[in-house]
Amino acid sequence: MAKISAMRQFRAILKKDIVMELRTKEMLTSMGLYTLLTLVVYYVALSRAGNGFDVRLIAGGLLWLAFLFTSMLGLNRSLVHEKDQGCLEALLLSPLDRPVIFFGKAVGNLIFLLIVEVLTIPIFIFMFLASSPIVGPIWEIALALLVGAIGIAGIGTLLATMSVNTSGKDFILAVLFIPIMFPLLYAVVAATSGVIIGDPGYQHLFWTSMSIGGGYDVIMLVAAYGLYEFIVGA
Amino acid sequence: MKQLRTAIVLLIVGGLLTTVDLFWAFFRSTVVSFGTVTLSKTVETARPFLGRSALGFQYGKAWFSQKIFYFHVPVAEASFLVFGVAAFFAIRFLMTRRRDFDTKSRIAMETTLLFVILTMVTGDLWTRASWGVWWQWEPRLTTYFIMTLLVIAYFVLRNSVEDEERRAVYASAFCIIAFIDAPISFMITRLIPSDHPVVFTEGGLDPSQLIPFIIGQIGMLMIGYAIYSMRMHEELLQERLAAAKESLEG
Amino acid sequence: MSEASSTGLALEVQDLSRTFGARKALDGVSFELPRGAFLSIFGPNGAGKTTMLKVLSTLTNPSKGSAKVVGLDVVQDAVELREHIGFISHNPLLYPDLTAEENLEFFAEIYCIDDPKDRVRELLAAVELDHRRFDAVRTFSRGMTQRLSIARALLHHPEVIFLDEPYSGLDPHAMDILDSLIASVRSEHTFVMISHDLQKGLELCSHALILAKGKVVLFDERDALDPDEFKTTYRDTVGMGVA
Repeated sequence: MAKISAMRQFRAILKKDIVMELRTKEMLTSMGLYTLLTLVVYYVALSRAGNGFDVRLIAGGLLWLAFLFTSMLGLNRSLVHEKDQGCLEALLLSPLDRPVIFFGKAVGNLIFLLIVEVLTIPIFIFMFLASSPIVGPIWEIALALLVGAIGIAGIGTLLATMSVNTSGKDFILAVLFIPIMFPLLYAVVAATSGVIIGDPGYQHLFWTSMSIGGGYDVIMLVAAYGLYEFIVGA
Repeated sequence: MKQLRTAIVLLIVGGLLTTVDLFWAFFRSTVVSFGTVTLSKTVETARPFLGRSALGFQYGKAWFSQKIFYFHVPVAEASFLVFGVAAFFAIRFLMTRRRDFDTKSRIAMETTLLFVILTMVTGDLWTRASWGVWWQWEPRLTTYFIMTLLVIAYFVLRNSVEDEERRAVYASAFCIIAFIDAPISFMITRLIPSDHPVVFTEGGLDPSQLIPFIIGQIGMLMIGYAIYSMRMHEELLQERLAAAKESLEG
Repeated sequence: MSEASSTGLALEVQDLSRTFGARKALDGVSFELPRGAFLSIFGPNGAGKTTMLKVLSTLTNPSKGSAKVVGLDVVQDAVELREHIGFISHNPLLYPDLTAEENLEFFAEIYCIDDPKDRVRELLAAVELDHRRFDAVRTFSRGMTQRLSIARALLHHPEVIFLDEPYSGLDPHAMDILDSLIASVRSEHTFVMISHDLQKGLELCSHALILAKGKVVLFDERDALDPDEFKTTYRDTVGMGVA
């Protein structure tokens, strides 16, 4: 009789996703390219705004817009792998607690999303914020990125597990994901914008938003953890 | 049958109560405060707008659609309540896997959809009355917009899953998550300081207004329950018909 | 923790039903299967065969009745039971971008096997895929994939192996390989197979079960069956559905 270790299983799932991604580079390249394309569209969108326009006012929003849509792309792909060859069924047949699948996949998605975020920020700054520097400390932006990414990865993994089994996959994910994400998006955009613009009192705004965002993350992660078992077995 | 009769009775009573509420508000109640503005004196109702001041409306006479408030808030609260009922049934379904719980959850969501759309429409009318614009991204309207999207998403999801049982499981899970998300959305827009003022505050209801308000609230809940029951009745009939058909096909 | 070998039976199904709303996938199914047996399940589409397999392999819960696999209840002891069952499907259940070795090592970790690397090498040799172990599964032929799939199913020394139409899509050569592999592990395991191939199913089995509309139409030991009578019953039931 084997001694079942959730940690061992979790590590196996995480390692598998990372190895597969490193080998195919499918998710990272598509996510990265998508972000770059979004930045081009941003340029066009801002091109008529004139020289006096302070991009910093909307920089937070633009960044998170890019991350949101890029993450949906990545979330879908990560679940399609499992569904394709019926591998998810093989996992369900093994002595594996369903939540371990959730955490394995969610942490994998989180890592990929963070990589994309970290690579995008400098490019964005280079392209749009070269002349108007960011006022607040960079580490606060990093914190906002983390809080946002955790929420996206958590709920996103849950919703993507559902949407991958529907007819209309990407579309369904978007329809479900965006309204659910609204509170978190609002909070992290407020926080990120606050730091970038640096109006007086932005620290208060930042920490309020961060605590709400963090609260959202905790609540949603608990909900996703509780519901995943039902969804993945259906 | 008995349940259907009860439902129809409730619908009529509920409709009557809501109408009473509206008429009372129209002709009798006074407006003490409106939005973030406290009026210097109480004003009569049911007279048209006289003009615009810097704040968007004129002291003196309150417009017809400002009284929409007495309809809007009950509908809004009823919609949230019915949403809660739907989420409750969703949880019960996941626990027991009995299909009738999923049906109940779905019907409740249909009722929620109706109420949420009504909330949006009346909220919009009030925004128009108080600010002169058709839309404002202020906390309450935004939250209800998100809620509308969530309820629509529920039905889109249901539509896109073929397998009956899987559809029920997914829909229930999403219903629960959406129900958790709605209040967070609401609080987010309130707690994070922004430029948009809060148009809808609950404060300053004078006793003469409280009674029609409560009547309206109860009336609305009755209407909600009645709609739910009638839909359920219709649904059960359809199920029996389908079962009869299947057994005839042998 | 219940002892897995308390009874001599591999399967004990009692009045098993699975309904959702008005639809009955399984309706009062009862039978027993001794250890070391090979059960072939036949029936038309929609008869409940896949549901039966899903309940027995703990993928779905029954609505009524009970089922025990090697003495463990499919609901109460589900997690423990999964350590004792293997599953081979017409889907390969493998990750195409990983190598054969990586695939097996992954599942070995999932099953928390002791000395995973040794076990993986052992199985790769047994299915004669040792020379291709560093190649990605997407480069494999259907027959090779099926062989690897069997290796995956056997990693954790399961007592009962479920097969869901394992022969579909295989060419004769691959079929032979599958046959010999099953034959080689036949004695230590109990098999439960769904197949639309009447001949294959009868050839391999020791017990036969025909399901239709969720109910048991026939259940008996193969040797006790009258072949013509069986064929008639089979044709009648399977012919009923859209075969």
